[in-house]
Amino acid sequence: MKYIVQVGDMKVGVKGDEIVTHALGSCLGLMIYDPVAHVGGMLHAMLPLSRINPQKAEANPYMFVDKGVPGLFKEVYDLGGQKARLIVKAAGCGSPIGKNEMFKIGERNYTVLKKLLWKNGILLKTEEIGGNISRTVHFDISTGRVTIKNGRQERLL
Amino acid sequence: MKQDRKREIISRIKSFPSMSGIAAKALKLLDDPDANAAQVEQLLKQDPGLTANLLKLTNSAYFGIPSKVGSVRHAVVMIGWKKVSKLVMAACVNAITNRQIVGYDLPPGVLWQHSVAVSVTAEGLMRELKIAESDEIFTAALLHDLGKLILGGFVEKELDEIEKVAARGIPFQMAEQEVLGTNHAEIGGLMLESWSFPTELVNAVRWHHDPDSAPQTGVMTDIVHVANVLCLMIGIGIGVEGLHYEPSVSATKRLGIKPTQLELIASQTLEWANELAGVFE
Repeated sequence: MKYIVQVGDMKVGVKGDEIVTHALGSCLGLMIYDPVAHVGGMLHAMLPLSRINPQKAEANPYMFVDKGVPGLFKEVYDLGGQKARLIVKAAGCGSPIGKNEMFKIGERNYTVLKKLLWKNGILLKTEEIGGNISRTVHFDISTGRVTIKNGRQERLL
Repeated sequence: MKQDRKREIISRIKSFPSMSGIAAKALKLLDDPDANAAQVEQLLKQDPGLTANLLKLTNSAYFGIPSKVGSVRHAVVMIGWKKVSKLVMAACVNAITNRQIVGYDLPPGVLWQHSVAVSVTAEGLMRELKIAESDEIFTAALLHDLGKLILGGFVEKELDEIEKVAARGIPFQMAEQEVLGTNHAEIGGLMLESWSFPTELVNAVRWHHDPDSAPQTGVMTDIVHVANVLCLMIGIGIGVEGLHYEPSVSATKRLGIKPTQLELIASQTLEWANELAGVFE
């Protein structure tokens, strides 16, 4: 099946599934994959910390990196994924150009992600982070292949 | 050469299917302290399609009206004629933006979603910053990218060149300016000017990417500027140019906005925008 991950959402899949997310600007796209169990999931989180809006975080934890990342791992574990085998890739976290710190939400998203992964002893295998492009991510759960598209350019992550 | 190109682009404004008729009249009603519900109803009699869309918007979750509204008169009673006039504007904008925008790589519906998202974000920012409510900010936000409707075809032809210029680290609208002799904000401003929209509104559209260059700085321009960048960041209406725009440090200072306020609004924007923009899906 093909799943589309909306902003502030998460989807998991098994062999044969494809997961796609569009228009990653400053949001974080996180893809995790177990190549033995052939299960994986993708998160599209908008903001770094849920304390900014606890009510919203209750209704929709995947909007926030601090709640969404543990949520994604849990869902993939529930499908049979094992921590030691997981391949973790990140994309997005872009920013507008210039020096206005207020709009560096992408950088803050990335910082929170790195802290969470570090605390849990997890390494990013690959990443395409930052810049000011809009990214679309395709994640093939049969093979674990992750491709990134922006405009007319496409590449493997 | 660039001047010829600019002239050619500007000549398209005259032949653009005008939304001036009903939209401009709705705007006049908003400005007129003596206006009333009957006038709004009279205005809408001319266009049943628009009336149907207005009622859809009124019944959207964004307003949370408990019972369904079935007539313009009832809509006015429930949410007030000012809000109804604003929604007339939204229905007009829907009619012209709910399609694919070539050049900017926006699929059908995305510019409409973006226009609504920037409008509700602008309103959210006004509430958060305790700025007196202004119906014109909602309208300016709705209309801010109108210029893309005309400029898109030209951007499509010159995209390689524009991207090459933008890659030097300058904002996308300046790259448009350099290659085409004009940019989508200027064209949007000229469109509204040709339809006799109020100057403040024209300026908010004209300078939405560069509020510091406006002849006069203003809350309306600053709010639309911030709301627009924020919506692009969270992926609503982000096109071929990505985040290749520069948020003004002075504008955020003038507004006195804090990062936490910006993030709080961002966390609400999607829901508000879906409630309002989703009624036509």
